[in-house]
This record gives sequence, C-alpha cells and structure tokens, in this order.
Amino acid sequence: MSSDQSLESFRPYTLTQTLNGHLRAISSVKFSHDGRLLASSSADKTLLTYSLSSISNSDSTPPSPLQKFTGHEQGVSDLVFSSDSRFLVSASDDKTIRLWDVPTATCLKTLIGHTNYVFCVNFNPQSNMIVSGAFDETVRIWDVKTGKCLKVLPAHSDPVTAVDFNRDGTMIVTSSYDGLCRIWDASTGHCMKTLIDDENPPVSFVKFSPNGKFILVGTLDNTLRLWNYSTGKILKTYTGHTNSKYCISSTFSVTNGKYIVSGSEDSCVYLWELQSRKVVQKLEGHTDPVISVASHPTENIIASGALDNDRTVKIWTQEKE
Amino acid sequence: MNAPIIDPLQGDFPEVIEEYLEHGVMKCIAFNRRGTLLAAGCSDGSCVIWDFETRGIAKVLRDKECVAAITSVCWSKYGHRILVSAADKSLTLWDVLKGEKITRIVLQQTPLQARLHPGSSTPSLCLACPLSSAPMIVDLSTGSTSILPIAVPDVANGIAPSSRNKYSDGTPPFTPTAACFNKYGDLVYVGNSKGEILVIDHKSNQIRALVPVSGAAVIKNIVFSRNGQYLLTNSNDRTIRIYDNLLPLKNGLEALVDIEKGIAEPNGIEKMKMVGSKCLALFREFQDSITKMHWKAPCFSGDGEWVIAGSASKGEHKIYIWDRAGYLVKILEGPKEALIDLAWHPVHPIIVSVSLTGWVYIWAKDYTENWSAFAPDFKELEENEEYVEREDEFDLNTETEKVKESNINEDEEVDIVAVDKDAFSDSDMSQEELCFLPAIPCPDVPERQGKCVGSSSKLMDRNHSGSPLSEEAMQNGQAANHASSPLEVKVCLCDS
Repeated sequence: MSSDQSLESFRPYTLTQTLNGHLRAISSVKFSHDGRLLASSSADKTLLTYSLSSISNSDSTPPSPLQKFTGHEQGVSDLVFSSDSRFLVSASDDKTIRLWDVPTATCLKTLIGHTNYVFCVNFNPQSNMIVSGAFDETVRIWDVKTGKCLKVLPAHSDPVTAVDFNRDGTMIVTSSYDGLCRIWDASTGHCMKTLIDDENPPVSFVKFSPNGKFILVGTLDNTLRLWNYSTGKILKTYTGHTNSKYCISSTFSVTNGKYIVSGSEDSCVYLWELQSRKVVQKLEGHTDPVISVASHPTENIIASGALDNDRTVKIWTQEKE
Repeated sequence: MNAPIIDPLQGDFPEVIEEYLEHGVMKCIAFNRRGTLLAAGCSDGSCVIWDFETRGIAKVLRDKECVAAITSVCWSKYGHRILVSAADKSLTLWDVLKGEKITRIVLQQTPLQARLHPGSSTPSLCLACPLSSAPMIVDLSTGSTSILPIAVPDVANGIAPSSRNKYSDGTPPFTPTAACFNKYGDLVYVGNSKGEILVIDHKSNQIRALVPVSGAAVIKNIVFSRNGQYLLTNSNDRTIRIYDNLLPLKNGLEALVDIEKGIAEPNGIEKMKMVGSKCLALFREFQDSITKMHWKAPCFSGDGEWVIAGSASKGEHKIYIWDRAGYLVKILEGPKEALIDLAWHPVHPIIVSVSLTGWVYIWAKDYTENWSAFAPDFKELEENEEYVEREDEFDLNTETEKVKESNINEDEEVDIVAVDKDAFSDSDMSQEELCFLPAIPCPDVPERQGKCVGSSSKLMDRNHSGSPLSEEAMQNGQAANHASSPLEVKVCLCDS
C-alpha cells in the first residue's frame, strides 16, 4: 500500500470535548492502562481525573471531573497511572512526589529526596518501583511499598526532562537539557549507553516504543526522532511542528494504524504517519502551546492539554466509518 | 528484546557482599523462575517472600498451625504455588498471589526437603525426602504417599520391590537419602547411602537405571542444573561430581525404555548398570585436596556454567565457585557464621547465602563504572598509549562536510509493536507466569514521613531526609506520631 493511499484512507480526528476544570496551565495528560480514566495535572497544584464515559460523549456541556487531588504545595509537572490503574503518582515543584489512591483521591505517600523541582515521573510495568527526574540533575528510583529511595543515579549535568521504563522494566531511559539520552539498567542503576549525535540540542522528551526496541526523542530544534538505541542510529525524523521552548510530550498511537502524536508551540496537535513520516493531520483548537498529548490504549481517542492562555484539556475522536 | 545492551543470561560471578536481608531467622531460600521473587522459610514457621528488585518484603505466608522451623521451600514452575516443609513433619502448599494455604499434609517423619513436581504450573505431586527414611512421592490432593525404592533388591532373595508404605529392602535406612526430579519431572534421581545414583520411574515405582559413583560414599545432595543437562552429586568422600545428562530432556522415560529394549541382558543389576551408563556420564570431580572440606548446599548457576558449594565447616562462611570444567575461580568469604543454604540467581550473577544467624547475604559483582557508557567517544585504556597525530589533524578544514546525514535511509519500515521472545519463554507455557506480587503502598504516618523506613533491608544509605511537610500533608487529621525507629516500622502490616 503506497503512502498516498494510506493518507487518503486516514480518517481525521475531530474535537469532541473541551475540559476546563483547571485554573492554570495544564502540564500533563494521561489515560489509565485499562482505558477507563483520564488524568490531568496542572500548575494550579491539583490533579483531576475524568471517566472515559463522561468525556467520550459529545455533549455541549463539559463533563465534571470524577475526583480532584489536592495536596501539593506547588504546581505539578507530571503524573502517571500505575499498571493496574489503582494509583497515581505526581511530580511537583515542591520537590516531592506524591502517591495517590485513585478511587478515594487520598494521598497515600509522599516521596521526599529530590533537592529541586521534580519534573518527570513514571511507574515500571510491575508498578513496584517509581522513577523520577528532577531539576537537581539526578534520577531517583523509589520503592512503591515503603516509599524509600532505592537508588540515586547521577544521570545528567542539566535538568532531567523525561524518564521512562521499557516494557519489561529492565531498562530506564532518561533525557536532559544537556542534550543527552542515557539508557540505564533498572536493577543495578548502572549506565548502559549514552546516545549522542553530532549536534546535541536540549532533549525535551524521551519515551520507549511499545515493544521497547526504539526510543522516541523530542529535541528543542523542532524535531522528533526515532532511534534504535542498540545500534545508536536514527531511524526516522519527524518535523513540521514547533518545539524550541517547552518540554512537549509526544506519544505513539497504535489503535488504528501507527502514528506519532505530538503537541506543538503553534497551539496545534500534530499527527505523523510512523513509516512515511508525513503529517497526516494538524488538530487545531487550542489557543496556547500544546504541552502534552496522550493516546487511549484501545479507542481512537487523543487527549491534549495546553498552557496558561488556554488551560483546557481537549478530547479528539476519530470519525466512525 | 534488549539483547544487545544487557545480556539476558549474564555470565560471570559475584565477588562481594552487596546487601543483607533481615526478617526473623531465615533458614532456607528459593528463587522463583525469573529471580524476581525470593522465598525464605523462617524458624517460626512462616515463609517470607522478598521482592528481589526492591529488596523489600512482598508478602508473608503465615499459618497458625505451623510454628515449627521450615526445612525447605520450593516454587512451582510458574511461581503460582509454594511448598514448604517444616520440622513438625508437615508439608504446606500455598497459593502465592492470594497468600492462602491450599493444603497441609502431615507425614510420619520430618521432611528435610520437599520438591514440587516441575512439570506443571499447579502440581499435585511432590517429592519429599524425610529425615531418616527413603524419599517418597506425596500426592498433595489426597495425602497418600508412595515410598521410592532406594536400593536394587537382591535377585537371589527373590524379594520384589513392593510399593505402598513398606521399605523395599526390609531394613530401615539410617541416613537421609537425597533425591530430585529431572527437568520435566517424569523421572526421579535418587542418591543412596551405597553411593549409587538410581533413576526411578515414579509412576510405576521402578528403578530403571543404576549409576555407581566411584568411591561408593554416601550421597548427601543430588541436584540438576536449571536446563536439565547437568547433574551434580555431593558425597561423603568430600567430592562433588558433575555428570552430563545423556537422556533427552522431554520424554526421558520413553528414551530409557528404548535403551532397555536395546540391551540384550536379563533384567537385573547388570542390565540396570548398562542402562545407567547411557543415562549419565561423569564429567568432572571437584574437591579441596588441601583442606579436605565437606561441602554443603551445592548448586549450579542459572546457565549451568558455574558450580558453587558452601563449606560445611562450622564457624566459617565460605563459598567456592568453580567453572564447569573444574577450575576453582573464586572463594567468597563472609562473616564468621556457618552457612546453611545457598542459591544462585536464575539470571544475574548474584549469589544468595543464608547464615546460621538467620540473615540472608546477597553477593554481587563489584561494579567498576563503565565510563564509555557515559560518553561514547571516551575510550578506557589499560595503560598509557602514545598518541600519534594524523597528518591533517590541525588543518583548517574549509569543507566541513557532514556526510552522515545523507546516508540514513529513513524509508525503511520500523516495527514498534512486535516483541521478541525472551530467553525464558518455553514453548509449552500455557498459563501466565507470576513474576511479581502487586505492591500496595503502605500509607504514610503523618509527620516525619521522610523517615518511614518500611522494609528491613540494609542499604548503603542514600536516604536524603528532606524538610518536614506542612499541615497540608496531614489530611487525616491524626495526631503526629513518631514511627521513626526501624524496628517498629519493620512490622509494616500491609501485606494484602
């Protein structure tokens, strides 16, 4: 099938819902692994969860959130669900990481240790460990059960912008403003590899592919790259969007064909076809840089969140045939 | 998977104690198949399951009825069940995920070792080696036992080996006899007090082959490697012997039957010895000729390349590591406490040893930082190298080409979804493996939350206790508690 054919058969996403529960800029949006919840974090120090059923209908009235999680003393930069969707973990400028019980919205644990803003956080697939990256240039691995910091990795020489586990939890990838992506052995905390290119623009985002073989790297030179980290070679480059200031997250969409989805500083959400690298759609609607995107694990739904001038989370659904 | 960067079955051996685990007095240990969980039987009858990745306690299996010391602990093949044998003559089968007892059987003698049938994920049979009688097969669902023959009957006496609950040669044996299943559990290998290895078909309770061990000393341990290809015996003559398993891994019994048919000898000891010579071939013998040490708890490494054994001398904690070819590569020395159990991690070069005090020591490689991993263009040198400059090293380059860019073919298909089979997947895996127990976070006690040290594993302390939290954290409105002494917090009652 030629790429033109697949472009023609691509059904565009349309805006189906706008959620305006937050009072300040959105920092991160995530779907739970069972697909039933959407969570968002914001500079207004809170997290909100919404049920999928309430956001997937195209009512004119925006749905109200399921739960509101309060407790952080400063704005929240990142949040993520555990694998069984029972817990949420959030990273905040108050230098702490909080572990929340989702159904009751209570804070179960507060992880203290970082000495500067905690910027990114993630669970391992077994959800017995949490990895976090902060402006103190370190990456910490925490035990979920006790909240103890198990390891401190001297990861980078600039703020750490993203951390991710691979699908079996054996490796961690980290990225930083110092222009490097590093791969670490999760069980020992030893550095396995550093990915270096000729030019090293600050890396704003990194994430493993679903099968753990490749990493998607976003850099502040308006480019997204797909690397094979074992060989150290770049496989794909995606351009067309704007990303030179903020740490914009991107994701893979695999529910209906393979796409890369990313936010952009021109207030749009970009979708590229994975193989051909062509931009298949630009989702317009936000009025400020789109800082975070998430793709639903099973449905063809994308969620996006934008900065202070906009403050909304928008839900985009692919048209049914 | 990630084969190029991290070798899934890492070679090499550990060198130093990295950490130790403490929870009551532990007596025996067993890793699950992937080494993500470590089960330890304690002297108070409970079984602790450690999450080996976080070095914290994942679950405690405790039964009111069993308060005697645990003598052995064994996982089922995919980690769903654990069988413990205790000093009160009982065997208890646990469901790991639920933490519930499935069944408890009391035998006539204390089993020193109990092994679940390795062929299925919910085994109903187990092999128990009691303190001073022949090993037996126990049916866990009915509780019935069948004693295995431990000696080939004398043909002249005309006594045929009997089955149910009678000793086969009429005399009560006086030393514990070692036994183990082969990889798929269709055969049992017994090492008896006459220094013979018997290959037994446990379904028909018949000895099919006999391998006499040179020296004819009492065999204390008999263990297979994880891949089923090597067998080791530990004998009273202070020698460990390694055998190659010549039978096929699957359907070993059928292969035995074929071998038997192919030998034109009347049934008897001689025929069994001939069949035996086609089952096992002696590969190497290990002994310490200087100290003439007795060995304890010998076992293979996960990949079968190394053999370890502990010194049985009291008051010293020494672990000998040989490669399979027989060279002694290392002696690990721990604190001056006797060693009572030993296990090699299935995947990593990590050894776990239990000392008499009840602590579990974790031995790992002494890591030296690989600097090239941090900076790829950094090359580590063993010694000084004379650097010779290139002709054009200091030339001003007017054409600074970046040839690299044009060479990348970005049109190649990339598959981001397909997953490689990992080193552990067997073709006959029907049920999902239990690799980890869900971690439920212990809710913080408000105030002094930075000091909540739940588990009792001692690490090189990296805990950075930051500033105490403000009132916003005290959501429950509970009065401020202390909760900072490690002993108190050790009793973290949040196992689900």
